[in-house]
Amino acid sequence: MAKEFELNEVEVWDGNYAASQALRQAQIDVVAAYPITPSTPIVEGYGSYVANGYVDGEFVMVESEHGAMSGCVGASAAGGRVATATSSQGFALMTEVLYQASGMRLPIVLTVVNRALASPLNVRGDHSDMYLGRDSGWIQIDAFDAQEAYDLALCAFRIGEHLDVRLPVMMHQDGFTTSHKAQNVYPLKDSVAYKFVGEYVPVDDMLDFSRPVTHGAQTEEDWHFEHKAKQHKALMDSRTVIDEVFADFKKLTGREYKRVESYMMEDAEVALVLLGSSVETAVLAAKQLREEEGIKVGIVAPRCFRPFPYDLVREALDVPSLKAVCCMDKSAPGGAMGALFNEVSAAAYSTEARPMMTNYVYGLGGRDFAVDEAKRIMKEQKAHADAGHITTDIQQFSGLRGPKLGFFQTRRD
Amino acid sequence: MSITGSVPGTDKRGLRELGAEEKVGWDEVTQGVTLNSFVGDAADIVHKKAEERNYNDFNSYTATVASWRIIKPVYNRDICIDCQNCWVWCPDTSIISRDKQMLGIDYDHCKGCGVCVEVCPTNPKSLLMFGEAEENDKALSAWPEKKKKEK
Amino acid sequence: MVEIRWHSRAGQGAVTGAKGLGSVVATTGKQVQAYALYGSAKRGAAMNAYNRIDDEPITNQETKMFPDFVFVIDPALAFSDDITKNDKPDTQYIITTHLSKEDLISQIPALQDKADRVHVVDCMQISLDTIGRAMPNTPILGAFMKVSKMYDLDFFLENMKKVLSKFPQKIIDANMEAITRAYNEVK
Repeated sequence: MAKEFELNEVEVWDGNYAASQALRQAQIDVVAAYPITPSTPIVEGYGSYVANGYVDGEFVMVESEHGAMSGCVGASAAGGRVATATSSQGFALMTEVLYQASGMRLPIVLTVVNRALASPLNVRGDHSDMYLGRDSGWIQIDAFDAQEAYDLALCAFRIGEHLDVRLPVMMHQDGFTTSHKAQNVYPLKDSVAYKFVGEYVPVDDMLDFSRPVTHGAQTEEDWHFEHKAKQHKALMDSRTVIDEVFADFKKLTGREYKRVESYMMEDAEVALVLLGSSVETAVLAAKQLREEEGIKVGIVAPRCFRPFPYDLVREALDVPSLKAVCCMDKSAPGGAMGALFNEVSAAAYSTEARPMMTNYVYGLGGRDFAVDEAKRIMKEQKAHADAGHITTDIQQFSGLRGPKLGFFQTRRD
Repeated sequence: MSITGSVPGTDKRGLRELGAEEKVGWDEVTQGVTLNSFVGDAADIVHKKAEERNYNDFNSYTATVASWRIIKPVYNRDICIDCQNCWVWCPDTSIISRDKQMLGIDYDHCKGCGVCVEVCPTNPKSLLMFGEAEENDKALSAWPEKKKKEK
Repeated sequence: MVEIRWHSRAGQGAVTGAKGLGSVVATTGKQVQAYALYGSAKRGAAMNAYNRIDDEPITNQETKMFPDFVFVIDPALAFSDDITKNDKPDTQYIITTHLSKEDLISQIPALQDKADRVHVVDCMQISLDTIGRAMPNTPILGAFMKVSKMYDLDFFLENMKKVLSKFPQKIIDANMEAITRAYNEVK
C-alpha cells in the first residue's frame, strides 16, 4: 500500500505539479513516458512518487513518445490504470498511437501541456498540439489554471473509465502560462481524491487468463465503419457522463466546471470565444471594460474541446442582444479560418440572433495575451455591432509585429 | 469439407466459410474491436486439445478457407519420420500433431502453399502436392519410389 | 494587488524564491501567482520571475506587469537589464550590489530620478557568508520584508522554515541567517 502524502489545505503549486499530484492520488498503475518540455515535471513527479513509495505503480522509460503511448496502450489493454504526459513534438510523434488508443477504447489519461509545434523550434505555449489531437477520438478537456489542472486531471479518470464511455482523455493546460505558474491550489486529501476517482474497473483486460482476448483486430471494409460509428457515439454520449462527473466534483469540492463556461453572457452585446489560460485574462478584461466603458462583453469558453459542445455553445450564444462574436484561435490555422471559429460559427448559425462572426489568430509560440489587447478586440467587436456589419477583415492577427495582416472582407451589397 | 480420417472428431472446426460471419450493426459490434477466442471460462484452456475447446464464432478455428485451395498436400504415414519440420514451417498451423507424432493435415485451414512439402526431409517425401480433386487413397497408391543419389 | 518582477540569472533561484514567497503569502489567506519566463534558457542567462499577490483570486494570466517591486538579484543585471521597464511612480527597487546606493545610482541613468525608491543589499556576499554559495534568492526576501513591511521578520522566518522543510537543518539555518542579515543590512 502506498504511503499517504501530507498536503496542506492550501498549496502553492504550478500546473505541472498539480497534475502530477492528481496522477499520484489516482494511483496510476503504469506511466510510460518520454519527457518533453514543458510537461517534463509531470512524469518526473510521478517517477519520484514511485521511488519514494507514494504510489504503487510502475514508471516505464521508453525510447520515444511513440513508444510512450504504445506502452500506455499495452498497459491499458492489460488492465491497468494508465497515464502519461507530453507536449508539442512529442505529441506529434504520439499521434499515430493516439488513434489506436481511442479505437481500442482504452481509457488512458494524457496530460498535455500545450506547446507550439516546430518549425521554428519553440518550447513556449500555444494550442498547436491540442488542435492536432482534435480528430483523434480522444476526449479533450481544457484547464485554464493550475487548480483546474489538478481538479480536471482527477475528473479525467472518472470520465474516461466510465463503462459507458471507455475512451482516452486528454487533460490540457497551457505551457508555461499554466504549467510553470505557481498559484494557490486547494488539493483533496489522498483518501478523498482516491475515493472520488474510484477503483479501476478493467474491461476485456488481457491479464484475465480466463477470458483470452484479442485487442485492436484488423477489420477491413466490412467492419471498420460500424466500429468507428460506435466509437463516435460513445464520444458524443460522453457529454452526459462529463456533466455527471463535474456535478459530483462540485458536490465534493464546491468547485464548478461546465462543458462550456460562459461569463456575463446574459446581456452581452459582443462576445469573445477562446480556450485555455487566456480565458481568465479575457474575463478580467471584460469586467474592466464593462466598468470603464459600459460595453456589454461576455466570454464563452469551451472547457470540453472534444466532444465539441455544439449544444452548449449554441445555448451560450443564443442571446437576443448578441451582435458580434470573435473566436480566438491560438494555433496557426494552416490556410483556413481557425478551427474554433469554424466550429463555433456552425453552432452560432443555428441561433436566432446569428451574430457576426470574426476570427483572430493570437498567442502563437507563447506571445503574451495582454489585458489591453483583449479590450481592444472587444471594442472592435462593439464597432461591428454599432455599424451593423463587420468593419475589419474577418480573419485578423493579434499581437503580431509588422504591417496589419488580415483575410476575407465581409460581403456587402 | 474434407477432414483426414486419422484426426479426432472436431466440434467446431471449419463450420463456415471465412468471411461468412453474420454481419451486425454498429450497435452490436464489440467495444474496441476486441475478439474473445472462447465462449465461457477459459482458465484451463492450455490443458485442452483444440477439438475440445469451446471456440467463439469469431475465432478462425471455426472458419474454413478450404475453398481457397487448388492443390493440396497429401500425407504418407508410412514414410514420415515425425521430424516435425512441416509442423514448424506451416504458416497456417494446419499440420496436426500429437505428442510429436504427425496425424495429418487440417484441410479446413490449409491453403495449399506447399511449404510442408518443401521442408520434408525424407526420401521419397512424406508429403506431396496433388490436385484438389484427386482422392487421397489414389494419391497414396501412386507414391513415387526412393530416388537414388546422383553420382 | 502587489506585483513583483525578479531580474535574475537562470540558476540563481529566482523561481524557487518566487515560489517560496508565494508559499509564505498563501498561508496568510492571500492569493498568489509565482511564475517565470524561461524556456530553453541555460544557467547564467538573464531571466525574469514574477509574483502577484492579492486578496481576491488572481485571473490575470498576462505575463507583462507594471511592478510594485523590482528585485535585482544579480549585481550585473542592474547594468545590463532594462530593470525600470513598465515603471510606476511608486515602484520600489531592491538591488543586490556591493556598491553603495549612491555609487550604484550614479552609474545607472535609469535610476537617477528614483533614488528614494532604490534599496541596496549585498545578497551575494550575504549568501556566500551564510549559505556558502551565491544564492541570492532567499536573502532578497529578507530585504523585501524590511522594505515592504509585509510581514514581521519572525513571522516570515517561521513560515519560510516550513517552505524549506525538505532541506537539511544546516541549510535551513543558513537561509534563516541570510534572510535576517539582509533584513538588517538593506539600505
